[in-house]
Amino acid sequence: MSVRARPTSPHLQIYRWTITMAMSIIHRATGIANYAGMALLAIWLVAAAADQEALNLVNLVYGSWFGQIVLFGFTWSLVHHMLGGLRHWVWDFAAMMEPGQRELMAWGTLVASVVITLLIWTVFVWMA
Amino acid sequence: MRETVITPQTIANPKVHYGDAKASTRHFITQRVTGLVNVVFLGLLLFIVVRLAGQDRADMISVIGNAFVGIPLALLIAIAAIHMRNGMRDTLEDYLHGRVYSLAMLLNTLFCVIVGLAGAGAVLKIVFWG
Repeated sequence: MSVRARPTSPHLQIYRWTITMAMSIIHRATGIANYAGMALLAIWLVAAAADQEALNLVNLVYGSWFGQIVLFGFTWSLVHHMLGGLRHWVWDFAAMMEPGQRELMAWGTLVASVVITLLIWTVFVWMA
Repeated sequence: MRETVITPQTIANPKVHYGDAKASTRHFITQRVTGLVNVVFLGLLLFIVVRLAGQDRADMISVIGNAFVGIPLALLIAIAAIHMRNGMRDTLEDYLHGRVYSLAMLLNTLFCVIVGLAGAGAVLKIVFWG
């Protein structure tokens, strides 16, 4: 038995963009971003387990303006991927699939991901 | 990757199939279950990062060194690594085929094992040895 190539839809070149399609693509993109971002968490934890000098270096890099921008993006990516995953859970029960409902949920994940990310950073970083 | 044209003959050929016939359902369920567990992981991660970001080693050990925080954290990192490997597998299956796919999948497994072992290992080191 050999595995044949999976059919890929020429959706990007042909169809008009829809919000569900955009959220599907962003779900995969944020998944890949989270995949890479988990290395940042591992590096932080390994540095903490190693010694104070290593931890100082990680804190310096992560605390720099560039590090903070990356961590802000990582926060949004995690929140968006979580909400997208929960949306798929709802769909797995064959609920919220009708026209209008699915677009509502897709817009909901986008808006909620931005609001929750800004809320986390406002409460725990900017106002802390 | 060159586009392979899928003809009715390809579909009718019983010697080829899409993806792994036996493992695909397991991958689907694993992905849903680990994904739901990851919601808990993000909650714990938020607590850890908010509490410990920029703090020194002694502070990190006092929080993560608590077994009731450290053991669940190590476990959840390992589960997240499984979710990462499965999710990346979905992506690789769509765009790569044959030996290129096998090689990419090998690198995928390697990355997830390293991140999972390093993350969970570091936490367990803090829990048991400080």
